[in-house]
Amino acid sequence: MDTIIPAEWNTAGPLQKFTARLLTGCVLLLLQIVEPLPSLASLNRLSSSGDCIGFLRGERFALANMGNDGSPDAERSLSLPANDVDSAASRKEAIRILSTITHLDSSNWWPHIRPALFLENLRNNIYHPLSIYQGSNTNFCGYAALTYLPLHDDPAGWLRFMLAIYRDGQASFNGIAFTPSARIHVAAGTLVFKGVLDIRPADQLWFLMLADHFRGYLNIFTPRFRDGSEDTFWAAVNLGKFCRMVRRLGGYKTHTRGSDLIRPSIHELYDYISSSMKTGITFLYVDNTYLYKKNHGTLKLHIPTHYLVLTDIRHDDGPDGLLTITYWDYGGKSLRKISEEFLKKITYGVVHCTKTD
Amino acid sequence: MRGGYNFTINKNFVIKNTISYLAVTMLSALLTGSCTSVNITRYYHRHQSALDSIQHTYKTAYRIRPFSLEFTDHSFRRVSVEILTDSLKYIYEFGPGEEAALQDSLRKYQLDVPAIDRLITQMRSMHCAWVNKLDYYSLSGEKHLLTYISLWPRVINRPFRNKQYYIIAYFSEPQFFDTRGELMTGRRVRRIRKINAEIYNRISDTVCYTLSDRFR
Repeated sequence: MDTIIPAEWNTAGPLQKFTARLLTGCVLLLLQIVEPLPSLASLNRLSSSGDCIGFLRGERFALANMGNDGSPDAERSLSLPANDVDSAASRKEAIRILSTITHLDSSNWWPHIRPALFLENLRNNIYHPLSIYQGSNTNFCGYAALTYLPLHDDPAGWLRFMLAIYRDGQASFNGIAFTPSARIHVAAGTLVFKGVLDIRPADQLWFLMLADHFRGYLNIFTPRFRDGSEDTFWAAVNLGKFCRMVRRLGGYKTHTRGSDLIRPSIHELYDYISSSMKTGITFLYVDNTYLYKKNHGTLKLHIPTHYLVLTDIRHDDGPDGLLTITYWDYGGKSLRKISEEFLKKITYGVVHCTKTD
Repeated sequence: MRGGYNFTINKNFVIKNTISYLAVTMLSALLTGSCTSVNITRYYHRHQSALDSIQHTYKTAYRIRPFSLEFTDHSFRRVSVEILTDSLKYIYEFGPGEEAALQDSLRKYQLDVPAIDRLITQMRSMHCAWVNKLDYYSLSGEKHLLTYISLWPRVINRPFRNKQYYIIAYFSEPQFFDTRGELMTGRRVRRIRKINAEIYNRISDTVCYTLSDRFR
């Protein structure tokens, strides 16, 4: 269990607990800021060595190569590009597993999950992995962005894990034992008014379970899930926690620039990100109040609150020198033109992930 | 003896004063609260034809290709359009003097250009910051869409306070409300429905409103 509150603290008084949590938070924040940062040169070295091939820039799509097993043409673009033989084989295996399941019994572990919806949700995630949606007004975007990795790399492993945890109430994924608390067992399947997440109980289970298992300093004051916690700091994901989840869940190496409060001092951000994308998967940790303006107020607290997967970035030929970025978030890919200043303004963290051998 | 008499007078005076202050405070709070709710309903009825026209124009143009429109600045001059295709959501922003570029982009994605031009003019005149379709789900899992219109009437903004937006939601079918006029999930399951994390109140069977500090 990756908790940051040791068990012996449970016997301490409220003041001691508060002090301890405050201190832990400060230490984690400091650790976050002083995390070793890679240079542009090191990224270029990775690029030239050819060890890792970025799959997000690929043009081919995994399901498109699978003959009749693929999804309808219109939704094919919601599938991930194929990067290697292993992930394509894993996807085929996942589709084979799904084809053998025609019916799921209800699970005593998850009293509010409707089996038919659960199965439909799993099917949707395997066929259209980019359509995974964190729900409106929740703090699940970090977990949703992270899910990009297992749904690409090992969809069959992810599917087996989801079926196992549904059946047994606990299961292991990539060597991590997940034993969700009783509150999570009860809550999965009950989240409503979150858009399409309302009818996706498997995603609810997955997000709640990740938030319950991985804890960071932002979650210190909300240790347990309560009704509505998905919208609060209970579900928040700081940059350090995000990287930890990527490393542990996806088996990736991460190189991170940036922090939770201060923008990274990368002089040529465009060049850095372009290089990063050539050698692996790139997540951006961004200030959502700039990216998706929600009010016209002039005084705003600018902090990063949103994760997105950058799938393409390029300079336009025009005289205005704009960038065209393509990224995944909120259940789909978006393309927009932005200036370099805007990119610098929104970017608080660049997470570069490369697969470990 | 005299001192005691004076003390009694003062005590009564203080009690009476406290009661009147409390009454005034409670009355003002009550009035402020009720004014807010009355005003949006009144605002809607006063501008009903313009608002319904925005909704109708948007709904008609949306059928050709899904999109949303947003004004990103205070002066309602910069317009942002999000165009949904099967594979991507294209997000473009156009400033003053870029009308031709906007029209080119709309044409490129086969949107109804005259309708959207009309919609932009209507939105600007009504200080409508955003128009979009939102999906919501019934408890049985059925998908529905509503038209979401955010208005920014400047009169309700005060300095050093969050901006306040009137949100008008148009449903395609009659909704259920409780006795206070709050939007419910259905007839059988009496539960307050939230849309975009806000509770909505009744204007008519198919139109609801809320007051929010964000337009989207």
